Amino acid sequence: MAGAASTTGPGATADRKIVAFCCRECAYAAADASANARTPLPPTVRLVLMPCTGRVSPLHLLSALAEGADGVMVAGCLLGQCHYREGNFHAVDRVAFVQRLLRSVGVEPERCRMFTMSAGEPPKFVAAVREMDRVIGGLPPLPRSEDGGGRKAASAGGASSLAAGEPLVAARGAA
Amino acid sequence: MPLTHRGREILSRVPAGTLQSTVGVGCEIVRHEELCVGCGKCAGNCPSGASERGALFDVNQLLDAPADSRRGALGGALRRLMRHEPDGPVEVPERVTVYRTIVYDNEKCLGCGTCVRGCPAEAIEARPPQADAAPTGSVHAAAPGAPAPEEVCA
Repeated sequence: MAGAASTTGPGATADRKIVAFCCRECAYAAADASANARTPLPPTVRLVLMPCTGRVSPLHLLSALAEGADGVMVAGCLLGQCHYREGNFHAVDRVAFVQRLLRSVGVEPERCRMFTMSAGEPPKFVAAVREMDRVIGGLPPLPRSEDGGGRKAASAGGASSLAAGEPLVAARGAA
Repeated sequence: MPLTHRGREILSRVPAGTLQSTVGVGCEIVRHEELCVGCGKCAGNCPSGASERGALFDVNQLLDAPADSRRGALGGALRRLMRHEPDGPVEVPERVTVYRTIVYDNEKCLGCGTCVRGCPAEAIEARPPQADAAPTGSVHAAAPGAPAPEEVCA
């Protein structure tokens, strides 16, 4: 990614990780354009290309947080302009669901957010990433418990399969 | 509970020996909650409104789900992040399709088995209708004087 310089002061939030799930039709194109224009992005952000934000499931968002991200953002098309008609509406609701789950167990819901933009708005994408970086920079690092917070899974293997980094594959096999 | 309430009522109006289908009115519907993904297809297909998509979702359903299930994978991630026990049920937005609590009302159920055919997780099972004293699979097989099923359906 072009321009690795932090925009919020050197080292202030450099140890944080933000995973940005970007729609291929808009946000990723906007990110590409902003990189071509050599606009610096915060070094905390990691882009993940998605075919549509409608593909983002609550499991993607929560797994990212559980596996090391301090914040996750979903960047999709403007509402009503989804390439697949209503994928981003699904994403909005799933992000809201994840926020409610997080709030329910005592985690700041701001760690998961949804942004919308069109492909022709690289500044909006950069502003969204910087906003997310600012919010996450203001929060403490996300604490995680390896033992599941004292609460065990109903059967063995769940936490370990997550730790092995293949929760989605395991979930698909079981479903 | 071999028959659902409504199923028994409907079967009482059906001539003896005419029903032998394993999936038809009067089946015993067994729901395996641990396999359910909460998609709500059973609720969408249900002709009698016995299954409904609940508006609230109990977070403990994720945390207590078997680890190798779809819900368990999400619950495992949530368990690593949680700082305290869930406050209570959360409201589920309209377009979140798979994390639903399905409210099943046995009193309304016809036992038709439509939900079984629609279930993608094979979490619902329809057991063939049978009288309490007749473990043979045919509803009225044990009824005295009933003709053999082959004769009826020939």
